[in-house]
Amino acid sequence: MDNIIKNFKGFLIDQGFDAVETDYEQRGYHLEVVLTVTQVREFAKKAYELGFYLVFVAGFQVLADPETPSPHSGLAVVYQYARHDRQYRIKACALVPDSLEIPSISDIYQGADWHERETRDFYGIVFSGHHNLKPLLMADMDVDVHPLLKEEAKLKSLDAVSWPSEAPESTE
Amino acid sequence: MGEENKGSSIAPELDAYTEFLKSESCRPLIGDAGEYGEGPLLRIKLTDIILKLCQANSLWPMTFGIACCAIEMMGTGMARFDISRYGSEVFRPSPRQSDLMIVAGTVNKKLAPVLLTLYEQMPSPKWVIAMGNCAISGGPFKVEDNYNVIEGVDKLIPVDVYVPGCPPRPEGLIEGILKVQEKITGTRHPLPQNRHPKSPLRKVKGLRVK
Amino acid sequence: MLESEYQEQNRFFLNMGPQHPSTHGVLLIVLEMNGEYVLDPQPVLGFIHRMHEKMGESRPCPGFMPNTGRMDYVCALPYNHGYVSLIERKAGIEVPERAEYIRVITSELNRIASHLLWLGAYLLDLGAFTPILYGFDDREHILDILESVTGSRLTYSYYRFGGVCQDIDEKFVERTRAFIKRLRKRYGIYEKLVTKNIIFIKRTENIGIVSPDMALRYGMTGPNLRGSGISYDIRKNEPYSVYPEFDFEVPVGRQGDCLDRYMVRVREIEQCLRIIEQALDRLPEGPIRSKVPKNIKLSPGDCNFAVEAARGELSYYLIGDGTSTPYRLKVRVPSYSNLSCLPELGRGILLPDLVSILGSFDLVIPEIDR
Ligand code: SF4
Repeated sequence: MDNIIKNFKGFLIDQGFDAVETDYEQRGYHLEVVLTVTQVREFAKKAYELGFYLVFVAGFQVLADPETPSPHSGLAVVYQYARHDRQYRIKACALVPDSLEIPSISDIYQGADWHERETRDFYGIVFSGHHNLKPLLMADMDVDVHPLLKEEAKLKSLDAVSWPSEAPESTE
Repeated sequence: MGEENKGSSIAPELDAYTEFLKSESCRPLIGDAGEYGEGPLLRIKLTDIILKLCQANSLWPMTFGIACCAIEMMGTGMARFDISRYGSEVFRPSPRQSDLMIVAGTVNKKLAPVLLTLYEQMPSPKWVIAMGNCAISGGPFKVEDNYNVIEGVDKLIPVDVYVPGCPPRPEGLIEGILKVQEKITGTRHPLPQNRHPKSPLRKVKGLRVK
Repeated sequence: MLESEYQEQNRFFLNMGPQHPSTHGVLLIVLEMNGEYVLDPQPVLGFIHRMHEKMGESRPCPGFMPNTGRMDYVCALPYNHGYVSLIERKAGIEVPERAEYIRVITSELNRIASHLLWLGAYLLDLGAFTPILYGFDDREHILDILESVTGSRLTYSYYRFGGVCQDIDEKFVERTRAFIKRLRKRYGIYEKLVTKNIIFIKRTENIGIVSPDMALRYGMTGPNLRGSGISYDIRKNEPYSVYPEFDFEVPVGRQGDCLDRYMVRVREIEQCLRIIEQALDRLPEGPIRSKVPKNIKLSPGDCNFAVEAARGELSYYLIGDGTSTPYRLKVRVPSYSNLSCLPELGRGILLPDLVSILGSFDLVIPEIDR
């Protein structure tokens, strides 16, 4: 089983993913991966091949930072994967570009379907390639209401909500 | 309705009959017309009383569990609390066969039209119990940035009895049903239940002692 | 050609819910039907969306405790457990051992209560009225025991950061032991009444088969996954609290049909009893709460905690920003993923089988909608 993890890590390094091992006791997951928009699907495919299951997809919002090399909209998507046969949890995080579009993984993991619809409800992130991006939890009349978006005053920058030092969560 | 019919005078005989019924000689039969206000043309007091007794003692609730309170509603129907002692154990899945709606849980924007439809589908006369704080006022979900929960079902439909609690205990719901019975007939424990001896156990115990 | 035209004409839509006794709450399933056969069942959620995640972000972290008990009210204590453990992990709070034991005992009692309720409700869906009366009878005993320490019957907020709210006493232990004895005796009744009932078997065997691959793709967890033969239980695979100290098994099914899911749950009740027994035997003395700062600061960074609720993996994911209010709080609920396989699973089956499948998933709708 350790082979699988090694295999997976090898893949991550080969493909140039930005992955950091983390302290499970402190954070509750073993590996943190920062994805770019193009890597989202690639990552999901590999994870499915190796028998990971998708725990959840969620969004969160930070202060949009125009200074960074690749400007983002302040929205981010978190994917969590885990395994049935051993204790291994991965958190993958991708910042959503200004177009608010991020590729859907609902054809790789069908379970992502509802999670993505829910994230669209709450944050207005558009998952391109999703077959049925209708409101799920919100009423039909509230298509354009995104309740979990925060007011400007309450937003924090990405650095203010990430672990210090060893988690360089910039968008390179 | 009776008043309007009189104006049109399509049936003068009927008007005359109404006048006769309202007269002093019919008072013992019909009761105080003012007490009822508008309503059916013919009102016979005894029939009314019997009808109401029957309604009160066989309230059929609709199976409409929404959230946490619904589990306590189920619990009320089960062996320990046994709601059938008060004639309300017949939970009907269809609104058309029930006359009591127990709103047991939180109502939100999406559910509101459904609730209204269900209420309208119930045949009259019908009663509503708002069970739990959510149904009364939004309960724990009445917060500043509330974007979805409707703060109290009485904004949507008329409510007869409020049962507070989060969730109310089954005893609370039983008390609520007794209150509805009281509202229908005017007395707590309408007739058939009154007829039971106060404590049948006393006699049994007496026998044992002898 | 003619036949397809005929089929086209026979196609119609049927709304199941939101007020339907066998959807266990306000769930709407839009069924595309052909005669008695379901072509495409599409669940519609959101009828009981109660903004739990928004509420988690808008007040200091202790304020979310009551919400945890109201998401999955049938089995609320594991939800409490997950949340307090999350904050404890984030803020680095130690928990006394006695408190952990009390947490395990009460959580497991709650799990049994949940399974008993499910057993009754499932059989009610299948048309048997009696088991629910038995199930509720046993369940009331558990509620009495839990009420004596937690103070409520259903929507508990019993655990606190760094311990529990109230200590258990001799009486509690005694009553719990009596209950274990009683429930063991009642097994025979359930066995005779339900498990060997030919009608029940006919309605559940080989129906709604969830293959392991399908379970993986949809992220199913809990007894629904174990019914498919995968032994995955967070209590074993990712141990938290004091679960590693107990000796218990994880029952698994063979092929993943409704009967397997039923058997897994029924056998799980026995394992819960074993855990409770061991915990009562070894219950250590000591304090039940550690010293906790009044104003818990959640340091910047994210944190995750997963526990095994009665329906599967419950995961809290929190992003802190240095204040005592969570910046983001995501709750991953098990039934959400479990139900999401219905459109695939329910294609081309008979309508009564759909009811059987829905019941076997053990859904709690307010948990799905949050
Ligand atoms: S009043 Fe409390 S128990 Fe009842 S539905 Fe609302 S939150 Fe749940």
